[in-house]
Amino acid sequence: MKRQLTLTTEPIAEPALLAQRSLSSGMGAVVCFLGVVRGTQGNASIRALEYEVFQRMAEHQINLLFDEMAKRWPVDSVRLVHRVGLVQVNEPSLWVEVVAPHRGEAFAACQWLIDEMKRVVPIWKKPVLSDP
Amino acid sequence: MRVTVCFYSYFKDLTGCTQTTETLPDGSTLDALFDKLILRLPKLAGMQKSTLMAVGVDYQDRTCILKEGDEVSLFPPVQGG
Repeated sequence: MKRQLTLTTEPIAEPALLAQRSLSSGMGAVVCFLGVVRGTQGNASIRALEYEVFQRMAEHQINLLFDEMAKRWPVDSVRLVHRVGLVQVNEPSLWVEVVAPHRGEAFAACQWLIDEMKRVVPIWKKPVLSDP
Repeated sequence: MRVTVCFYSYFKDLTGCTQTTETLPDGSTLDALFDKLILRLPKLAGMQKSTLMAVGVDYQDRTCILKEGDEVSLFPPVQGG
């Protein structure tokens, strides 16, 4: 399974990511997920989220998830980009792409990866409140 | 033995530092380390149940036996995405 992991302070450039897509023959499904910073947290209005990462451990844990994903589904490739640092409202903080032969396994693998990432990968976010 | 302890997220605010060192008897567990840290950093006491612990880049439970030079990380539940 091909894999690519990027933890970056730079904005997620979707057009560039799409241009870099490489599909093996026999692949029939590409599932992409884009996580975007919401403008509210609870009842509070926010203008950004500040993401903090324990980089070495995050990379290790995501690679463990990639290993497990490869055992569970016939995924051909996975790419994951996560922003760190300050991310403004409406900007993407997470981009995930899973390529597999069929949509069922592509959707399932993508959903599982994101759920597990939120459970074990050491990334935290702190809201930056809007000015009153 | 000496171990390094790193704090992340709001644990940095609770402890007032990003990292510290602790000296422990050989064979000490993560649990013993946490108990000793609480004596110096009492705000950690309220976080006992929600604290996640790692040694190096792997999660460990409180029975994990530490060794000289280990880097321990303590942090609250993660929130990526």
